[in-house]
Amino acid sequence: MKIQFNGLKETIPQGLNISKLIKFFDEGDPHVIVEQNGRYIYPKNYDTCMVMENDMIEFINPNLGG
Amino acid sequence: MAPETCERYTRQIKLPQIGSSGQEKLARARVLIAGAGGLGSLSSLYLAAAGVGHLIIADHDHVELSNLNRQLVHSEATLGKPKVVSASQHLGQLNSAIQVTPVQVRIDQGSIDGLLEGVDLIVDGCDNYPTRKVLNRAALHHNLPWIFGGVMGFDGMVSSFVPGLSVCFECILQDPDTLKPDTIKPETIKSGNPPPNNGILGATAGMIASIQAMEAVKLLLAIGTPLTNRLVRISGLEMRITTAELTPNPDCRACSPSNKN
Repeated sequence: MKIQFNGLKETIPQGLNISKLIKFFDEGDPHVIVEQNGRYIYPKNYDTCMVMENDMIEFINPNLGG
Repeated sequence: MAPETCERYTRQIKLPQIGSSGQEKLARARVLIAGAGGLGSLSSLYLAAAGVGHLIIADHDHVELSNLNRQLVHSEATLGKPKVVSASQHLGQLNSAIQVTPVQVRIDQGSIDGLLEGVDLIVDGCDNYPTRKVLNRAALHHNLPWIFGGVMGFDGMVSSFVPGLSVCFECILQDPDTLKPDTIKPETIKSGNPPPNNGILGATAGMIASIQAMEAVKLLLAIGTPLTNRLVRISGLEMRITTAELTPNPDCRACSPSNKN
C-alpha cells in the first residue's frame, strides 16, 4: 500500500493502524506528534486509527526550544 | 493621532485590516513577552515596531556571546547584562513611544500571576516544557490568549491558544520528562526539552517569532484567521510547511472539565 510519509512516497503493508505504523518506521520518540491527512491524531486513538491508501502521514518531533 | 505617530505607522495603517482605529488599539495593548531569548527577542522587536503600547519582557538570564547568532535584540554592547535590560534598551531605541517594562525573574508559578496583571496577550519565548506549562495553566486561569512557539535546529512549530475557543498547549503536548526511563530509547529521541547548548540557526527563530508577532497583532485586533486549533510546523532544511488541524483532547489535564488537576 502506498502512502506519503513525511513528504516522501513510501510502501507499507496493508492493515496497519497508527500504533503499528510507528513500530514499522521504528519511531522511538514517545512524544512524536502524528498527523494523518492534516489532522492531529491523539495517542489514545492510535490503535483504532487505520492507515489507508494514499494517506498523508507526518511524524513530528516537537520542538520546545526558544 | 499625532503626525509623527501617523508617519511611523503609515505603512501598516494603510492596511484596511488595521487602519487608524487598529493602530490605536495596538497602542493600548499590553503584551507579556515570556522570555527574551531567540523567540522573545525577535517577536518583541516586531511588536515594538508595530506600536504595541506596552511590552513586559520577563527573563532571568544574562546575555552571552553564544546568544548573538539569533537573539537579535541583544548585542556585543550588552554582553553580561540581564537580558531584560538589554532588550528594553534596544526596544526603546527602536520605538521610544512605547513602554517597555523589564522584569528580571524566572517565570514560574510564583511569578506568573504578577506578570499577567493587566496583560491582554502572552507571547511565548520559553525554552522548556515546564515553563510553558506554567504559562498554559495561567493563561487558562486568567482567560488569556497565548501564542506558542518552539524551535530547534532548522525546525519550528507555532500555534495560538485561546481559552474557551481552542485546544490548549497540554492537549497536544505532554511533558517529555515524565516518562519512565525504561520506556525511552535515547538514540531515537529527537524532541523534548532541548539539552543545554542545542544547535539552532538564527533564521529558525526568526521564522517562528515572525509568525508569533503576526498572530499577536491578529488576536489583539481580532482580524484575519488566527492559528487557533491549528499547529504549523516548519522543517527548514526541506522548507516543508505542514498545518495540522487540532481538536480538543477530552483527556487533557489542563482544560478538559472532567480531568482538571
